[in-house]
Amino acid sequence: MSEEAIRLSGVSKAFSGHVAVEDLSLAVPRGAAFGLLGPNGAGKTTTLRMIMNVLGPDSGTIEILGQPATQERRDRIGYMPEERGLYPRMVVEEQLLFFAELKGVPRKEGTRRLQPWLERLGLMDWRRRRLNELSKGMQQKAQFIATVLHDPDILILDEPLSGLDPVGVNVMRDVFVDLRRRGKTVVLSSHQMETVERLCDAIALIHHGRKVLDGPVSEVRSRHGKNTIVLSYEGDGAFLAGLPGVLKVSDFGRYVEIKMAEGADAQGILREAASRLRVSRFEVVEPSLHDIFVEQVTSGGEAAA
Amino acid sequence: MNRLVTIVRREYLERVRSKAFMVSTFLGPVLVAGFMFGPSLLMERQRGQALRIAVVDATGILRGGVEQELRQQTVAGSPRFAVTAVEGGDAEAARQAARSRVVDGRLDGYLYLGPDALATSKADYFGKNVSNMMDLRLVEEAAENAVMRHRLGQEGLDGARVKAVMRKLDLRTVRLTARGEREDRGASFLLALLLLTLLYMTVPMWGAAIMNGVIEEKSNRVVEVIVSSIPTSYLFAGKLLGVGGAGLTQVVVWVLTMAAFGAYGAAAAGGLPMPEVSPLLMAAFIVFFLLGYFLYGALYAGVGSAVNTQQEAQSLAFPVMMPLVLGFVFFPAVLGSPDSPFSVTLSLIPFFTPMLMFLRITAVTPPAWQIALSLVLTLTTVVGVTWAASRVYRVGILMYGKRPTFPEMLRWIGESGS
Repeated sequence: MSEEAIRLSGVSKAFSGHVAVEDLSLAVPRGAAFGLLGPNGAGKTTTLRMIMNVLGPDSGTIEILGQPATQERRDRIGYMPEERGLYPRMVVEEQLLFFAELKGVPRKEGTRRLQPWLERLGLMDWRRRRLNELSKGMQQKAQFIATVLHDPDILILDEPLSGLDPVGVNVMRDVFVDLRRRGKTVVLSSHQMETVERLCDAIALIHHGRKVLDGPVSEVRSRHGKNTIVLSYEGDGAFLAGLPGVLKVSDFGRYVEIKMAEGADAQGILREAASRLRVSRFEVVEPSLHDIFVEQVTSGGEAAA
Repeated sequence: MNRLVTIVRREYLERVRSKAFMVSTFLGPVLVAGFMFGPSLLMERQRGQALRIAVVDATGILRGGVEQELRQQTVAGSPRFAVTAVEGGDAEAARQAARSRVVDGRLDGYLYLGPDALATSKADYFGKNVSNMMDLRLVEEAAENAVMRHRLGQEGLDGARVKAVMRKLDLRTVRLTARGEREDRGASFLLALLLLTLLYMTVPMWGAAIMNGVIEEKSNRVVEVIVSSIPTSYLFAGKLLGVGGAGLTQVVVWVLTMAAFGAYGAAAAGGLPMPEVSPLLMAAFIVFFLLGYFLYGALYAGVGSAVNTQQEAQSLAFPVMMPLVLGFVFFPAVLGSPDSPFSVTLSLIPFFTPMLMFLRITAVTPPAWQIALSLVLTLTTVVGVTWAASRVYRVGILMYGKRPTFPEMLRWIGESGS
């Protein structure tokens, strides 16, 4: 059995002249929580849609659980698109059974499985109501049940946390953790780096339809080295930007982040700062995914242009 | 295949359970019943109680004849008038007596023949209700007959013989078909017209139902979840079949009711005009409904997939409606001469076939080869249109934003892969 839940090899997709995804290769390890990152319009949704055969790739191949993506393979995936969608005037229970049936779960079996989910997400009393009688938060929960009711091995969630209230976020996180524990593979797309950093083991960053970098989160971060200094001080720090080895200073008010050139001497910068300012905090850190993201995206953008 | 059934099932149940479906399905038969029984019921109601009527004759010679004539007036086989004698010495006294009886309700009305009624040919009717033209016509006819008979008698002619000679011609209209002849007084034609109207109502109605369903799925973004689970063609076909199934259910309910009405009606109506509910006509109705539905329904589905809102759909749906509207424009011409080359040609054009071929079938029976040819042509077109519409649909359902133009939609048909 393959170690990869999903593999994309050289996948490209263009829409009337505009290239949405170009020569993209990805490997999502089985059992991983995988984050697909990129700014809006990077091609995340197009990529997920191609995995789900909502769109067909122009070229390249897609494998699911070690075999070419077929209907039968895709039945093992639960997909929650970015634009959530259920029938507003259909009864909740009826509706969820319908979606499970579309994934090959017979009605009887679906009914049996539905019960625990309704109880868990607090929709028991609402199961015979029409969807549009439910609050937005409850509709989101119903949507989630529709995604997992057929007990998929892989979950693909496009921007899973967007539009959720704090309670919804908590519920989602619990379910997420539970699914991980049960060995499910979760692929989520997001442009919110903090979320991905907390939830995912591995990421791929795409920009303008191309993969910029990928790998386990820790590896990605360390690959970019400890090149950032976090500094808190009192006094006029204007001179910091002019120090040798300093690429960029970002002022966050309470502290500044100093981006160093490769091979720059952090201790030298500390000495210089300590001699001219009252330093209350000095720390050399790995860049956050956000920083890597911004760096890659801005430089990548220039390279592409 | 199972999943296609899932889609069909949902579409079917969603329609059949809706209030609109219940109302139109059960209102249809009421309408049909109105058409079929309306005329007979009207007469039935009139049959009701015979009118109590008296004849006051100042001429002194006409009363017997008029009363006899009145007693012979029948509606739907039963006498229309109960003639009462009003005794009161001379005519004036009788008139007063009759008047007071009408006022206090013991009489519905009386006919007054003045002293010079024979010379002037004038008579008066006094009654509580003088707006029932049918009844008044009967009274007038009775008096007329009596006066005429009296005059003829004076001329030395036998009234009864004259009546026999002068008997009016009763025009019977017989519809001649290959299966034989059948008396028809327009009722069957009315029924055919009604069926045609139903076709004109139901085909766009169910077409629009598909279109709105597609728009709903698209605007609520349900469609992406569905096409990530099953091929787009399943969704398209499932929709067409499911909604069509609901439409078929409705039409079959109508046909069955009509057949039941027909059977009951023929027994109950006696000699009253009842339309012929022929199985052939009913079968044709169902077949042409289905053809029209699939032809136009597929187009409506294509249109629905291309737009984002119902408002946008209006302008795109208009060209789809055009052939239907045109068919309606040609309606009188085809009805006037159903076998003319013009009518035959029109009825063979697939987009007109469902309406115009059906119209021709109700008017005359067209040659079998024409019906067969029209079915083959329309079915072929249905296959082609469905294929093209499914291609448009496949692209359209995932396309948001600007509404595409017709040339763009035509290009989608040619695009490969999904």
